[in-house]
Amino acid sequence: MTLKPHQCPTTSSSKNSPTLDLGRRQFLLQSATGMGVAALSTMLGTNSFATNSGGQPGIPHFAPKAKRVIFLFQSGGPSQMDLFDPKPQMEAYFDQEIPDSVRMGQRITTMTSGQKRFPVAPSMFKFNQHGNSGQWLSELLPHTATIADRLCIVKSMVTQAINHDPAMTFFQTGSQISGRPSIGAWASYGLGKENEDLPAFVAMTSRGKGGVQPLADRLWGSGFLPTTHQGVKFRGSSDPVLYLNDPAGISREVKREMLNDLGALNGKRLEAVGDPEIATRIAQYELAFRMQASVPALTDLTTESQNILELYGPDVTKPGSYASQCLLARRLIERGVRFVQLFHIGWDQHNNLPTEIRNQCHDTDQPSAALVKDLDARGLLDETLVVWGGEFGRTTYCQGDLKRDKYGRDHHPRCFSVWMAGGGVKPGITYGKTDDFSYNIVENPVEVHDLHATMLHLLGIDHKRLTFRVQGRDHRLTDVHGRVVQELLA
Amino acid sequence: MSSLIRLLLIFVAVQLDTSLHLSAGETVDFNRDVQPILASHCIECHGPDSATRKGDLRLDLGDGLGDDRGGYRILTPGKPEESELVVRITHADPELRMPPPEFATKKPLKPQEIETLKRWITEGGGFEQHWAYVLPRRPPLPKVSDESWPRNAIDYFILSRLEKGEMSPSSEAEKATLIRRATLALTGLPPSIDEVDAFIADESADALEKSVDRLLASPRYGLHMALAWLDAARYSDSSGYQADWERYQWPWRDWVVDAYNRNMPFDLFTVEQLAGDMLPDATIAQQIATGFNRNHRINDEGGSLDAEFEVEYVVDRVDTTATVWLGLSAGCARCHDHKYDPLSQKEFYGLYAYFNNVPEKGIDGRIGAAKPFVEIPNERSVAELKKRKVHLSELEKTAEAAVGAEAGDGKVRLEKLKKEIKWLERHTKGMAMIMQELPERRPTYLLKRGDYQQPDKSEDIPPSLPVAFKRTHLKEETPRDRLELARWIAGPNNPLTARVTVNRLWQHHFGTGIVRTSEDFGTRGERPSHPELLDWLATEFTHVGWDLKAMHRLILTSATFRQASKVDANVASRDPMNRLLARGSRMRLSGIAIRDQALFVSGLLSERQGGQSVKPYQPAGLWEELSFGSGKTTIDFYEQDHGENLYRRSLYTFWKRTVAPPQLSIFDGGGREACRVRGDTTNTPMQALNLQNDVTFIEAARHLAQRMIHEGGQTLASRITYGWRLVLGRKPKSDELDVLINAAARHCERYANAKEEALRLLSNGESSRDDSLSSHEHAALTVVALTLLNLDEAITLE
Repeated sequence: MTLKPHQCPTTSSSKNSPTLDLGRRQFLLQSATGMGVAALSTMLGTNSFATNSGGQPGIPHFAPKAKRVIFLFQSGGPSQMDLFDPKPQMEAYFDQEIPDSVRMGQRITTMTSGQKRFPVAPSMFKFNQHGNSGQWLSELLPHTATIADRLCIVKSMVTQAINHDPAMTFFQTGSQISGRPSIGAWASYGLGKENEDLPAFVAMTSRGKGGVQPLADRLWGSGFLPTTHQGVKFRGSSDPVLYLNDPAGISREVKREMLNDLGALNGKRLEAVGDPEIATRIAQYELAFRMQASVPALTDLTTESQNILELYGPDVTKPGSYASQCLLARRLIERGVRFVQLFHIGWDQHNNLPTEIRNQCHDTDQPSAALVKDLDARGLLDETLVVWGGEFGRTTYCQGDLKRDKYGRDHHPRCFSVWMAGGGVKPGITYGKTDDFSYNIVENPVEVHDLHATMLHLLGIDHKRLTFRVQGRDHRLTDVHGRVVQELLA
Repeated sequence: MSSLIRLLLIFVAVQLDTSLHLSAGETVDFNRDVQPILASHCIECHGPDSATRKGDLRLDLGDGLGDDRGGYRILTPGKPEESELVVRITHADPELRMPPPEFATKKPLKPQEIETLKRWITEGGGFEQHWAYVLPRRPPLPKVSDESWPRNAIDYFILSRLEKGEMSPSSEAEKATLIRRATLALTGLPPSIDEVDAFIADESADALEKSVDRLLASPRYGLHMALAWLDAARYSDSSGYQADWERYQWPWRDWVVDAYNRNMPFDLFTVEQLAGDMLPDATIAQQIATGFNRNHRINDEGGSLDAEFEVEYVVDRVDTTATVWLGLSAGCARCHDHKYDPLSQKEFYGLYAYFNNVPEKGIDGRIGAAKPFVEIPNERSVAELKKRKVHLSELEKTAEAAVGAEAGDGKVRLEKLKKEIKWLERHTKGMAMIMQELPERRPTYLLKRGDYQQPDKSEDIPPSLPVAFKRTHLKEETPRDRLELARWIAGPNNPLTARVTVNRLWQHHFGTGIVRTSEDFGTRGERPSHPELLDWLATEFTHVGWDLKAMHRLILTSATFRQASKVDANVASRDPMNRLLARGSRMRLSGIAIRDQALFVSGLLSERQGGQSVKPYQPAGLWEELSFGSGKTTIDFYEQDHGENLYRRSLYTFWKRTVAPPQLSIFDGGGREACRVRGDTTNTPMQALNLQNDVTFIEAARHLAQRMIHEGGQTLASRITYGWRLVLGRKPKSDELDVLINAAARHCERYANAKEEALRLLSNGESSRDDSLSSHEHAALTVVALTLLNLDEAITLE
């Protein structure tokens, strides 16, 4: 058939082109029964969305309280004493040196270590008790106040790192130095997935108006675990998952036909060489095709009712906002995504904390509370663990100039607050206690490893038995530490 | 899929261990049969870690086990029943039985393992050092029944093992497959159609040898070989940690490529990278080589302390050096004695001391490098800059005179020029970070729990090798500085470097090393599938003067490498991971090779070598979302390049540590955060999306289509065949061809009725198209070309 210029060749009919479905199924079966398994690492080492629903044998170790996690990570280090940990005693010390008996010569960052003075900066924000539980919350969190009875507030978190990068890496991976899997990757590795068409672990980032701290892929990375366990990033752009959109000039019909042809050719190769990896490849292309339809449907928030949109607040319609991601988190959870991790940038308030923290709370308070309420209303909160917190807290003493209504705070690893809700935690309680300056913990310290152990416990995992061997050593999220904080469990 | 999974699970259950089980008449081999049992069940409490050792008993060494311990001996040679070891593992009382209940419930000793231990003691109960710590001795070639198969020494070892398992090798791969395999394996690019045809036509006995020699001589060889080394060396164009500043470390990367292409002997390659700065009259190049141990992440976060990160850098050097050359996981011993391998915490700091003498700061790296470094002029950038500056002054003069539309046009050109100048100004030099020695040795203290805040200042630990190496292998005095260490690592008294290195070559060509855990040759690493072959290759490597090209040639011309990769159901059920190599390996290409191949077959690839890294297409916003987003660093925002830099080999793609290049990352590229010598190969929907939708591949497809039209003859069949062969080397079978001919016809019809759509497809990417081509025909073949690039076979080395 010689082609004349600019003329299409004739063809029998597209109907006669090899159809895929029957053929493909046949190939899959042949490959499965006919041979073994060069592709084992892929099929069983959980290297694909479609083929991995399994997780690790024996996991969960016991009946889980939470099936899923939404981790609302507040990047930069929210100030505990302006949000959760009221310290009226500090008032009397306004602009006075923090007592040596409190500071105890502990390490501080080089951003303030050169300061001549370390004056106490009391919070300018009022605290009130809320709900039947009487939880103390700052006026900055009026929406969070409405879910006070569902919250389990831990005021005695402590971390090992004093600067952002190591502290965030530690909070997400259990190690200050990069290279370890993130907690979401561990959950994906241990538990596998519930939805064949979506990843087990999704990460999203959003950005506030100040106090920016950079993030890094490693915070949702898979470290030494198989790469499939890394968090798949959902983005606020028109391409919510990388390379999801068809290129200009390729319609769905063309794509479908292309996939049919591809499947037919790959199928022939499978017959010829017998490598089951090809069967997996065919399945992954089909899954990718389905994702191109299912993901935009998933990220399209316009299908939500007006009530729900209002619940999450005005930002919910802005793609990439924290509010829209909170709502998206619920939609992911509903579809069986195991671990949803949000990162909201902007809590690093070294200077002019009052203004910046108002902005941050404006962006995050309502959506965070809405998420808990929304999950609750749908009966999902009982089996979904929601965690809110940042990598460390902030200092009692002021960084820079101090006024009643204008002050800054440096990083503080020795105590900070997080809250949890749903998924098997005790609602309406406060755990742990700090001194009168919110500087040191005086009761029930909770290490980051302990928080991790507790989160895994709620997922039905014994943190000591979720291991992966690297260079001869069985590694775990909690290294050789970690204690399940029984007092937090419902 | 679930039924498939179930079936596959059944195969796992019947999967054969690749090690041979001890049969009745055979003598027990300590390293093969006994050591793995001790390592897996006993060493955790009775091993090298003095802090957790129980009952004053070490089972990683044989010392003193026969001593009278007050009426009993741990081991009485020849008499298992009089050996406490056997008494305790078979004790009737679970409280007294070993391993103790808390371990035994998780991992009891199997009856077969107990039997092996008994037999071992009956046969004398001798200990041997862990196999990897004993110098390799060249074994004789094993006997094989089928003398006609082997082509070189490798094949005797492979065949002998297959014959023991009553398996036989596969026939040779088709020639088109073989030449594609060899070309991709050595150069990271596929062969041209001419090269395939020439190879097929060459009927001489040494046709493959000739091709391999040609490929080894190609500069593409060094570009491809450098990639794995860059992963191992955690090379990156940014510093990592919080702000992730840009660094101009590319002169080191160019040094590596050049060293491979010059076939620098591996011992020299080693010494120059570990201690080139300490060689007499060290050249600039020898100093640049030492960038290997400055490639680690460097922190510059406000508020951080020098002391803390100085420790991290030195630890990283010890870890990386130990993993890359010695296959040892030294890092464990930072905080405590190693639990499984003979490396005490103190010995770790003995290694640490070699690398703890650099005039560096813990917090540094804002200016493109951290001290110490050397500056390397980037001659091309300097010349380009000069040219553009002249052009700028001319343009400015004409701009003053211009009016109206002409002025607007001039302004656009001016802006573009200014941007280019700004970029070039940033790249007039590379700043290669190097190793240097302080004039006085900095003291090294053991850090309790590995914590920089807890140095044990009671003792300054000098640079020293672990006793395990010193005691048995080091004939000369212990090296006292980095240069001597480098010479020991690459010298005749080190049992590991040659083994570890040839193992990685094997991994490169077969997908899995002879030791699967190529990063761990320690007591908990996996045993080699072919121990004698490993030792033969290691001794061969040193015998040929550490000649890497010679080793590649040896492997590629073996009968083992030439086998077809077709999976035989029977064989696969017995050796599913193909560790015994009864067939060739079938492996997915790396993300880098996949992109480079697409650019190459489409004719877009620029083969310009060296210089600063480049920024090809990348989805918008990826860097901005995670960075300060304020322009604090030069790489807060992704400023995509244009023109030739969009099409350079992926080796040159800018690697930002906190946000790895997305396409490479999706294809398991790792993060370059830390040393990596073995990666994953996954198969995911994200990969399918990338290959179908990334502008890189759409643009490559339309250029491939253009080539098919221009160079592929006049018929649709010939054009598709041409494209097929550009991508896959082999000719399509007629039923394969039919699928794509039908496809082309359908797409053509569709695009003929939707010319706008065709033009939209053809406008993907920044390169221009040949307007003389019919748009719907070009668009239809673009879809066909994209189908070709997405074939499983296209992204697989068969």
